[in-house]
Amino acid sequence: MLKAIHYINQFFGQVGGEDMADYEPEIRTGTVGCTQIFNSLAKDVEVTHTVICGDNFMASRTDEALARILAMLEGVEFDIFIAGPAFNAGRYGAACGQVCKAVKEKHGVPVITSMNEENPGVELFHKDMYIFRGGNRATFMKQDMEKLAAFADRIARGGKLLPAVMEGYFPRGIRHEVFLEDIGREPVMAADRVVDMMIAKLRGEPYQTELPMPALDRVPVAPAVKDLRKVRLALVTSGGIVPRENPDRIQSCSATKWGKYDISGLEKGFTAPEYKTIHAGYDPEQADRNPNVVVPLDAIRAYQREGRIGEVDDYYYTTVGTGTTQGEAARMGREIAAVLHERNVEAVVLTAT
Amino acid sequence: MKLEIGKFFVKDMVFGSKTGYSRGVLTINKEEALAVVKEDSHITEADLYIVNPGDEVRMVPVKEAIEMRCKVSGGVMFPGMTNPVTPAGQGRTHALKDCSLIVVGKHWGSFQDGLIDMSGPFQRNTIYGSLKNLVLVGDTDEEFERREQQKKNRALRWAGHRLAEYVGKCVAALEPEEIETWELEPVNRRESIVQELPSVVYVLQPQTQMEAMGYNTLIYGWDGNHMLPTFMHPNELLDGAVVSGSFMPVSSKMSTYEHCNNPVVKRLMKEHGKTLNFLGIVMSNLNVAMDQKQRSAYMVAQMAKNLGADGAIVAEEGYGNPDVDYIQTIVELEKVGVKTVGISNECTGRDGASQPLVALDPAANALVSTGNVSQYFELPPMKTVLGELESMGRDGLSGGWEGCVRADGSLVMENNGMFCSDHISGFSVKTCMDY
Repeated sequence: MLKAIHYINQFFGQVGGEDMADYEPEIRTGTVGCTQIFNSLAKDVEVTHTVICGDNFMASRTDEALARILAMLEGVEFDIFIAGPAFNAGRYGAACGQVCKAVKEKHGVPVITSMNEENPGVELFHKDMYIFRGGNRATFMKQDMEKLAAFADRIARGGKLLPAVMEGYFPRGIRHEVFLEDIGREPVMAADRVVDMMIAKLRGEPYQTELPMPALDRVPVAPAVKDLRKVRLALVTSGGIVPRENPDRIQSCSATKWGKYDISGLEKGFTAPEYKTIHAGYDPEQADRNPNVVVPLDAIRAYQREGRIGEVDDYYYTTVGTGTTQGEAARMGREIAAVLHERNVEAVVLTAT
Repeated sequence: MKLEIGKFFVKDMVFGSKTGYSRGVLTINKEEALAVVKEDSHITEADLYIVNPGDEVRMVPVKEAIEMRCKVSGGVMFPGMTNPVTPAGQGRTHALKDCSLIVVGKHWGSFQDGLIDMSGPFQRNTIYGSLKNLVLVGDTDEEFERREQQKKNRALRWAGHRLAEYVGKCVAALEPEEIETWELEPVNRRESIVQELPSVVYVLQPQTQMEAMGYNTLIYGWDGNHMLPTFMHPNELLDGAVVSGSFMPVSSKMSTYEHCNNPVVKRLMKEHGKTLNFLGIVMSNLNVAMDQKQRSAYMVAQMAKNLGADGAIVAEEGYGNPDVDYIQTIVELEKVGVKTVGISNECTGRDGASQPLVALDPAANALVSTGNVSQYFELPPMKTVLGELESMGRDGLSGGWEGCVRADGSLVMENNGMFCSDHISGFSVKTCMDY
């Protein structure tokens, strides 16, 4: 039997209505109000403590509320944290999201909640936790609680997690491959799926894309540098140019590492074979013969001598962009940008391949 | 154009004194078969094995899979590659079914090579795990690329195609157990009842991004990097005019076996005259520079539009950089009013949280997903390994990394290195879903 803690607001904690929305956070042993429903439904999970907090208190004094709740949980044993259901109550939804996120970060336990799709808490927190698709008002209490209890039971039994649409939670921005047979679907070949989708699209009939287009993450182009003689410029590349020994063992494909190497002594640009590419996604012949075709240090030095460019950073920054996931690329980008900031770099020549 | 495929269903494969086929039993004279492999003096070592579904066998580094076939009339196998350039897609071809020929490096792997398990939890990850396989394991004297991550694998790939035809020839004079007929009339000579159906093209984007020659998909022996989109009859693909290359991370690869058995093309042929008017294949390519990507996308859209296509299915053999070609082609087709559906895989990262395709566009509103290249696998040890397990971690195979192979023969890897496992040709019984 796993132990759970349940977070609810002042209303469902039977403290009071809107007039009690400033109610300070408290923890009670055992179940309160709707928490009993959870315990009557779940077979392998039991709520042992209930945390109650007024919605206004959480909304207006969030940091304090979270700190006090986390302090209350010190020394309490629990395996799962449950919040809500919050239906379509905006403040309550946000509160459930904030508490779940804080508990997950500190304790690393599964956190689950439930909200209606119109609840702004879904948009704010769906990437951080399992938010089950719930009803829009409290009359759905039993149905929503059933979903939470069933899922908590499955976590307790160590069952394999099914895709969001089958479990009933909002997608968390995570995609994995699945064999259709593993989720109880007929193993229809992709060939038949694509032709069936084609026929449906041609006939104007409904069809379901298997890859819904995610929101586009476009970075705006930075304003132009006014005077290149007055800034420190750095060279960054995803083209895999490294010192011959590849000292940081940056991977040739699906890279998770980047390197920073001194170029202050390279007056005329990169030399071969002291520098080469380890990038597995393009023909290395030209780059190995002359690494400057990927990172144009020779041209930058020439401009420097001509006085068209001022200072060049003593280091260049490199990784491999082939097969590299967008997540890893974004992380490495943030890390490199932080170093560039520290080194007062104001302009970057970023070369891809 | 009419093509007959005469089928022989192999129930058992054995070595014996004479290469031949009788009542479901395919017998291979090993010595004679190896002589065909060694016609190329660059092959330094070669051996043959037979593996069946359920055998405790792991193969790595796998370079190619080919269906064993021969032409009986109307052309040659693999024109422009192992045989002179000759029109393909007509006459009679005999094929050994339920089996394939797998080409494995005895020691050395490359970026595009992969792994096949014949039993255990990962048997189902590639269709070759459920076929009876004749396995050629060999080494070569191609010293120039022995330590290179990118290998042309020419000697072994060509040997595989010669061998596939040699074995295939043993059924040349026999009566097939079943005959499949593939026929499409010229696009403007079809009955009005067919013309009235919605017209569809299949746009194939095979992997052609290596600018050096010798790595890319071959079309009649011609390197796909050096061509512009063109129009092909589906029979040409089904009859061996297209041969797989040696470049793409392997879960995204379409082997020559898959080109010859492309299930999307076969399904479109079956729908032809019933629900659809299948115009044919727009054979495109995948490119490196942006203007090349755009040129191909514009030309594909123009060709589809002026052939009268109402719909198009676009298949991308690859992921990452070529997603740009894939999405751009879908966008250009939609712009000219051709309703388009795409089929390819995704790269969402081990945690599943990365953007699934490099390029995105709201016009790509109908996509079939065949797998995630970065899905993380832990494989138990396997009794027998054909090839060299260490290659997965040592030679830069796209799904492996230094240290991924353990001393006990178990390994961790990404789907990226599982042979043809995303089956973008259409065999995939996987999809990707939100979690």
